[in-house]
Amino acid sequence: MLEIRGLHAGYAGSEVLHGIDLRVGEGEGVVVLGPNGHGKTTLLRAITGLLPARSGEVLFAGQDITRWRPDVIVAAGVIHIPQGDLLFPEMTVRENLLMGAYHGPTWAGRKARLSRVYELFPWLENRAGQLARTLSGGERRMLALGRGLMAQAKILLIDEPSLGLAPLATQQIYASIRTIKEGGMPLLLADENANHVNGLADRVYLLETGMLVREGPAEQLLKDEALLESYLG
Amino acid sequence: MHNTQLVQAVWGGVLFGSVYGLMALGLTLVWGAVRLLNLAHGAIFIVGAYTAYWVVSTLHMPILVALPAGVLVAAIFAALMHVLFIRPVIGKPGFDNATLVATVGLSISVSAAVLIIFNPEYKVVPPVLSGSQNVVGVQITNQGLLVIATSLALFALVYLFLTYSRQGMAIRAVSQQRDAASLMAIPVVRTYGVVIAISGALAGLAGVLLSPFFFLNPSSGFNPMIQALIVTIFGGLGSVRGALVAGFVLGLFESFVEVYLGVAWALPGVFLLIILMLIVRPNGLFGIGEVRRL
Repeated sequence: MLEIRGLHAGYAGSEVLHGIDLRVGEGEGVVVLGPNGHGKTTLLRAITGLLPARSGEVLFAGQDITRWRPDVIVAAGVIHIPQGDLLFPEMTVRENLLMGAYHGPTWAGRKARLSRVYELFPWLENRAGQLARTLSGGERRMLALGRGLMAQAKILLIDEPSLGLAPLATQQIYASIRTIKEGGMPLLLADENANHVNGLADRVYLLETGMLVREGPAEQLLKDEALLESYLG
Repeated sequence: MHNTQLVQAVWGGVLFGSVYGLMALGLTLVWGAVRLLNLAHGAIFIVGAYTAYWVVSTLHMPILVALPAGVLVAAIFAALMHVLFIRPVIGKPGFDNATLVATVGLSISVSAAVLIIFNPEYKVVPPVLSGSQNVVGVQITNQGLLVIATSLALFALVYLFLTYSRQGMAIRAVSQQRDAASLMAIPVVRTYGVVIAISGALAGLAGVLLSPFFFLNPSSGFNPMIQALIVTIFGGLGSVRGALVAGFVLGLFESFVEVYLGVAWALPGVFLLIILMLIVRPNGLFGIGEVRRL
């Protein structure tokens, strides 16, 4: 479904990713675990083209999307829910959600999608008219997730869903992601906490200083506490 | 006598206000969405006006044909400007300087081209509506009423477009969070082009509708653009509501000063008001600094 080969990427003057090889299969939940600042966000940004790859390839559904523009990659169904709150601050909750369905064929069915997202997160419906910049951290994450679900995703890339969240909000977020995963949606999740991803990871990669240092089935890797300890601290 | 002065001041103010607002609307849209200070806005204005003049004088068509022609050519001209001069530097360091130089250069080129194609003589563009009403001794021209109605209608239209349409919402999205807009499958650069073309159409329309009030010459775009810049800064760069309110505040202020204190005080008065306003609110009436977008 999604395959990355020898991907190098970075910012002016410094390379962050030094040759990443990664694969997400149909309906598979893949988690990239790694401490902050080791390239998780850079990896997801390079996949959706927000950051141009220096070398290597990104293949999606058999097509080489490495040099595609972000909006074209997203239109093809690679939905990226970015880190932090990349919301539209001066737009309402409802308007933010509608933007998730901007892509032509999706726009026609936006009303049905909106009510489905409201069903999943009833809280969003109560706040429909509120400006995004007035929301709390947990509310923003919920909105960002809901906005991602407005699109016609073939694969979801989610960047650190729990960053800066209180424990209760964290639980809610992962419960909703688990629901999405159980519906058969392939998932690439970047996280720094192994405890969060139990039950939604099929396979796990460990990312350290821009390289994937370990890969294995989740039930095996997530139980190896000594290993996790040494990488994630 | 007393009534005549008041009617004169209000009429002049509302008319000036609409004119300022009409010019400022396009400028503020482009600033809000693209962060581009389009100093070619006045050049696009005369592209629209001269197109209308050419359609009327050379093709001998009525002004009702010339008006949409002027709007269309101005929009195409703006879109070409985007493709040739703006698009290549989007996202590059030095975008501000490059586009400032490019738009000023384009303005000079347009004036020169107009001078060569036509000639430096003053041209007359006929009004869409002729005739006028006499209200307590004040001439209320029908063209003036048309300008006021058009300006108000366009503000309403732009507001509705930005608030409710898919394309308008995408413009706001792009202006507020560019990366997030990309991740919504919104083609950011093309959206910039759409905004610039819309702004060009507005400038062209202003050019055709306003030229009957003065004689058209190759530098006619300069004053309207300076006024639009002032209005845009006064209202808060990037704010549509600000452009509307500031247009009328400045228009009425200027007109009242002219009628009651004399024409000589109009310009100094306006500048004094702006300086005072910028001391109190440095980001303009409706500007909230860098954060506030469309």
